[in-house]
Amino acid sequence: MLKGVLDLAVLAVLRDEDGYGYDILRRLRTAGLEDVGDASVYGTLRRLFNNGLLNSYVVPSDEGPHRKYYALNEAGRTELQRSTKVWDGFASIMEDLLRERGKA
Amino acid sequence: MNLTAQDEIAVYVEGVRLALSGLPAEIRDELLEDLPEHLAEVLAEGGGSLEDRLGPPDVYAAELSASAGLGANPAPPRTDARSRAAAKAAAHRARLAGRVRVADEFVGRLLGYPRARDFLVLLRPAWWVLRGYLAAMAVSFFVEESENSIGLLPRINGELVLGLALLAVAVIGSVWLGHRGGPAGRGKRRALKFASAVLVFFAVVGFVEADEAARRDYYEPVGYPQSKYDDVRDVFVYDRDGRLLTDVQLYDQDGRAIHFGDGYCVNAETGEVKPSRAVGYPGCANDAPFVSLTPEPSGVPAEDPSAVPSAPVVGG
Repeated sequence: MLKGVLDLAVLAVLRDEDGYGYDILRRLRTAGLEDVGDASVYGTLRRLFNNGLLNSYVVPSDEGPHRKYYALNEAGRTELQRSTKVWDGFASIMEDLLRERGKA
Repeated sequence: MNLTAQDEIAVYVEGVRLALSGLPAEIRDELLEDLPEHLAEVLAEGGGSLEDRLGPPDVYAAELSASAGLGANPAPPRTDARSRAAAKAAAHRARLAGRVRVADEFVGRLLGYPRARDFLVLLRPAWWVLRGYLAAMAVSFFVEESENSIGLLPRINGELVLGLALLAVAVIGSVWLGHRGGPAGRGKRRALKFASAVLVFFAVVGFVEADEAARRDYYEPVGYPQSKYDDVRDVFVYDRDGRLLTDVQLYDQDGRAIHFGDGYCVNAETGEVKPSRAVGYPGCANDAPFVSLTPEPSGVPAEDPSAVPSAPVVGG
């Protein structure tokens, strides 16, 4: 997967709802990113957290282990908006490029 | 090898940890923080072992550290015999740690906490106070020269006030030390742990000793047998026919004369006190508790047994 795309995807699935690692992985897979690796998602979460784009909190659970939830913070939302614009621009360029090449 | 889910998770985590051994411990622990929970979820899905689902631990580790922006696998695992042995030992340790974790969570649930550890953390200040008390007791014990057994409060040369002052200083010092947090140096931390272990050992020995001493005092009163005869002032000896014997001498098993009383007699009527003139017991024949049936021992055996009462009159 393109580097940087996974970052954007993770930020996107956290936009509306906080989630823990496995949960986030499942959302990505449900959305269609079936080949995303478990370790990649966890590593990405850790990196986004270390870069200050995510907050985290632990939720105790009655059955099973405690879950570490991640949430977008302000910096994360700003980054998501910025990346979304970059992506839209990139996507439209790519679309034009591919269509033109297809015609040619 | 038949692994339980917890074991399998522990072994896999340890494999990843080993593969990340090139990273600083702090960063590595951060990366591994969510891993056991995640592996539990993956196993719960069913569909094969962790290796089947996620690939070998070192591949997982490489992907993890790469996506976390820490570069590719910084320390590829060596495969010589020594590192295999180390890996095996690490897997055992991991399995043990997994069991401890399960016990931690189980006991914690009984106590109403996420983990037993969470409850123990709350008890920390209580431990600081206890540690101060034990330290004061230990100092008192080693300073004290006498052979006294351990009591409940520290004393210095038998002085309770000094001991209490020591106790106050030790408790405050211990709480201060605990509140300040652990010492920075690894050696100092180790020394603190060692000292705590010594204190706990001292406490166990001390409490057992104090407990035994307390039980001894209750059930074996010292000096009781001697005091039984303290109020004996005179001895009256009757023969089988109920006659009071006079001028009797008493000896113990070593041939020493046994003396009771102070050698004075009180006249019951006049209240007059006179020194006894008797050679042996009774000192004061007039105070005999029982009436002598035959006034004087005749020295001659009775010719007709029926003429003599068969038993002494024993009052009571």
